[in-house]
Amino acid sequence: MLYDSPDTTLLYETKKGRTWQCDLTDKLFLEFDGMVLAFRVQDFFAFRRRVNKVDILEMIFDLSDDRDFEVIEAPLHNFVHRFALCELIQLRDLLNGTKFSLDLHSMLHEVLGSSYVVLD
Amino acid sequence: MKDLVRMRTSLKEEIEIALNAQVKMESEASQKYLAMASWLDQNGFEHTAAYMYKQSDEEREHGLKIFKYINEVGGAAITPTVGEVQQEFGSMREVFEAALQSEIAVTNAINKIVTKCRQAEDYATEDFMMWYVTEQREEEKNARRALELFDLIDANSPTGKFELDKQIAKIGSAE
Ligand SMILES: [Fe+2]
Ligand SMILES: [Fe+2]
Repeated sequence: MLYDSPDTTLLYETKKGRTWQCDLTDKLFLEFDGMVLAFRVQDFFAFRRRVNKVDILEMIFDLSDDRDFEVIEAPLHNFVHRFALCELIQLRDLLNGTKFSLDLHSMLHEVLGSSYVVLD
Repeated sequence: MKDLVRMRTSLKEEIEIALNAQVKMESEASQKYLAMASWLDQNGFEHTAAYMYKQSDEEREHGLKIFKYINEVGGAAITPTVGEVQQEFGSMREVFEAALQSEIAVTNAINKIVTKCRQAEDYATEDFMMWYVTEQREEEKNARRALELFDLIDANSPTGKFELDKQIAKIGSAE
């Protein structure tokens, strides 16, 4: 799935990845460090909650080797990955930026009262 | 571009967070009442122990009702985790004072959610929460009545504790 097809809209982009929405499948796509995952909205939110729940400070101050990584699962997607600390921060950045973008769209829909908003 | 978030849920994030927090609070209330029931049971107050077991069940129902509502409107209900609750009390009166304090805290939390709903123009959730507003009026009234009985019945008279146990357990039910 390409993010520049006519039915897709780029939501957020960082140096490490990007997210986009597909209006044909009603899915959100996440590309991060070479991985691509497709989410339903609720699964995307659950994934974001999981990533945001990681205690970054605790990871920094805990010197044991197994705290250098955090295993994140997305059970519905058969996805398991070990993220290093800085990857987690980058992923968080991307997910939270996407959430902001989605909320902004939602707000515009509500305020403008139209079912479709074209931003680009 | 479709509004996928709105298509999924009518809950705004801050309301979803507040509702999940309330699920947790009701769950905590349920555990507090359970601990009170146990203390009363251990100290021979079998009627008020039964009363508190029932309160504990009701609080679980309160939490569950919000839990189901969150999912019904497309949000994500999160199973609450509850920490330690008070297990020891100095007297029967202390139990019922703690109960009133707990109900007051719940009322305040419910009111704050209603305020949030109005700010977010989430009238469906406000409507849903009004049941809790009414419920809290009743819960506070009952908790206050229990303390009133301590003023009417002298706990240190020969059958005082026995009588208090019987009378408090009757609160809320038609005589
Ligand atoms: Fe309650
Ligand atoms: Fe209550």
